Amino acid sequence: MTTSLEQGINTLKRVIDAPIASYFSSCTGCGICSSACIFFTETGDPKYTPIRRVEPMRRIWEQEYTVIGKLKKLIGLAKEVTEQDLKDNVELAFESCTTCGRCSMVCPIGNDIVYMIRRMREGLTAAGLAPKELQAAAVRTMETGSVMGFPMKTLEAMVKAAEEETGIEINIDKPDVDYLLLLSSAEVMQFNEIISSLAKIFKEAGVTWTFSSKAHEAGNPGMHMGASEIEAMMINRIVEAAEELNIKKVISPECGHAYMAIRWEGPNVIGRPYPFEVYHIIEVLDELRAQGKLHTRASSGTVPMTFHDPCQAARRGGVNEPQRNLLNMMSSNFKEMNDSMACNWCCGGGGGMNTIEKAEPLVRKVFHRKRQQIEELDVNIVVTMCATCRNTLEEGVEDNGMDVTVLGLTEVVANHLLKENES
Amino acid sequence: MTEERVDKAETLGGSLISNGVSRRTFLKFCSTVASAMALPPAAAKAMAEKLSQATRQSVIWLSFQECTGCTESITRSHKPTLESLIFDFISLDYHHTLQAASGDAAEHAREEAQKKHKGKYILIVDGAIPVKDGGVYSTIAGITNLQMLQDVAKDAMAIVSVGTCAAYGGLPKANPNPTGAVAVSDIVKDKPIINIPGCPPIPVVMTGVLAHVLTFGIPELDSHGRPMAFFGDSIHDRCYRRPFYDKGQFAKGFDDEGARKGWCLFEVGCKGPTTHNACATVKWNNGTSFPIQSGHGCIGCSEPDFWDAGSFYKPLSTGSMNMEGWATGALAAGAAVGVASGLLNSNTKSKAEAKHEPVTLEDMGAKNE
Repeated sequence: MTTSLEQGINTLKRVIDAPIASYFSSCTGCGICSSACIFFTETGDPKYTPIRRVEPMRRIWEQEYTVIGKLKKLIGLAKEVTEQDLKDNVELAFESCTTCGRCSMVCPIGNDIVYMIRRMREGLTAAGLAPKELQAAAVRTMETGSVMGFPMKTLEAMVKAAEEETGIEINIDKPDVDYLLLLSSAEVMQFNEIISSLAKIFKEAGVTWTFSSKAHEAGNPGMHMGASEIEAMMINRIVEAAEELNIKKVISPECGHAYMAIRWEGPNVIGRPYPFEVYHIIEVLDELRAQGKLHTRASSGTVPMTFHDPCQAARRGGVNEPQRNLLNMMSSNFKEMNDSMACNWCCGGGGGMNTIEKAEPLVRKVFHRKRQQIEELDVNIVVTMCATCRNTLEEGVEDNGMDVTVLGLTEVVANHLLKENES
Repeated sequence: MTEERVDKAETLGGSLISNGVSRRTFLKFCSTVASAMALPPAAAKAMAEKLSQATRQSVIWLSFQECTGCTESITRSHKPTLESLIFDFISLDYHHTLQAASGDAAEHAREEAQKKHKGKYILIVDGAIPVKDGGVYSTIAGITNLQMLQDVAKDAMAIVSVGTCAAYGGLPKANPNPTGAVAVSDIVKDKPIINIPGCPPIPVVMTGVLAHVLTFGIPELDSHGRPMAFFGDSIHDRCYRRPFYDKGQFAKGFDDEGARKGWCLFEVGCKGPTTHNACATVKWNNGTSFPIQSGHGCIGCSEPDFWDAGSFYKPLSTGSMNMEGWATGALAAGAAVGVASGLLNSNTKSKAEAKHEPVTLEDMGAKNE
């Protein structure tokens, strides 16, 4: 297809389904969603009211699918959606929204505003208006299998290094093992020690696993853009890899949006059920803990630490307890953040936002909320389980000159593993 | 009955004294009326002065499609009270129930009064006026009520519609209204009309309004043409059981614990909240009681079309119309509209679906700058 205004409008007409129609018709305009949105609370600008981000779609719904809207259109009272309207909407749908879903959580009607924003993004993408950074990421992902463009070769080199470091053999494309492990680009680039950590953990737990050369990363810019077809292509690649290797359990990495795409949206966008199950890596680790297969030592001293719940894994994905089980196993001074778990404030950089250059000042500005949350706990360690959150937190910490270390939970578990002679 | 009295043209003050009523008692009456009508305290004295100076007012009372309850209410309520004296005082030139004369003589008295006090007499009407089939359903001396009203009204100074029938059509007008009954105000459009509704109205309200007309002219009226002084508040506003309503304590039947304890009668159908009248303050039978005090809810008799406003025993909150038929129809119509618009919408959607081309990597050209 050639992206165009016409395709954009047509897509918006097409994606308005029964849930969206009922969301629009039941929205009372109460504005509670704005109080839940970090971009509104930190700027005070009403244009960031979540439901307002889908205004062009609402107008199309009204004009195409409601009697009054059709009448209005007939007598020329309706304002048709123009190319400029869509262009203006890019800022609201892409550059100031992480799709963290806090708005959906608080809506008294139960409207899933994030679902609507995704579909709004789909319309903008069809109109050719998706941010260039996300478009480029989508191309990279399809061409190299990696959001940041690290081909399988890079991973192979890392695997080799990890094997040398740990002395453990790491499988690539090995069929019939317990788990297929997917990574995120951030892990490959910045936290590749995760490979050796997991190799150790799984070896000790007696779990078999493999990478796949066909699908080594789970990141899905297609989902960020709302481009369902591209999202499906990315998911299909993983599904085919797991099917070929006859693997029944797939591990999503420490990446919130990847988890959302592969765990929750996947079967819907590809239109068929998976022949396997998907777990967040932290869910897997917690299961090993519950089975007594994870041997860790207690954290030395009583260094206070807190946990930042990633929006897509905790709030929208439902992974809330495993991280707490693991942290409490290792730390005697785990401090719960205010508004934790399902209500946690977003890091401010997810949903593609921290790849979009234009959005950077806003990402920095809204970090104020996270800073407050961390400072009121008086901790120096913040653990999380999403590479994007980790990235955003690290940048925010640096930006604000805070004395805080940000860690990934898998890494923390690896660091607390008992050495062989300690057990 | 009245011919010679008119000739005497004495004042009300004189008449009262000759009837053995002291000035003190008279002042008391004026204070009662003034306070009942919420007039300022000074008005009582002014009213007393004006009333005692007032000459006999010629009044023609026409009774149409009615039950005589209104007349009963006024005449038999009390012993010789001031209200009745006021009625004695006015020159009631024609009242076919009360007057001694009958037949031609009676009609003659009316015509005389009409002629003599042209433009000055007050016309009191009780009863509705049937207009269907030329008004044949109620006639007096061969004249239809409609003709008589039009004839007498044209030279009246003002008209007082006494009772709900004259004021709003009342029971005769109730569905299916076989005689085509209407209110006075539906026929007479060019005269001031004061409505004193009630089935029947409270005596002191009638005399009070009359006293006001004699002294200060026509009182302030509400949107239904009722004197604000008596009909300004709802029964509910002034009801002594109101505290139970506010506390949510309701009688659920007429013989339950709540009824025995004197709780609010809202749930057994009291229409107090939507009824404007003075029953709760002035009460009936010389201030003895009123319906709610006797344990029965207000039936709303001073409101237009009260007879057709649903059961007296259903709470106001249940609504007055039989909605079942409507509801079924509306449901079916709604469903049909829903299906139709659903089909239209799915048509719109499948058209969009047909025009859809998938977004591919080739589209990722970063056009947004």
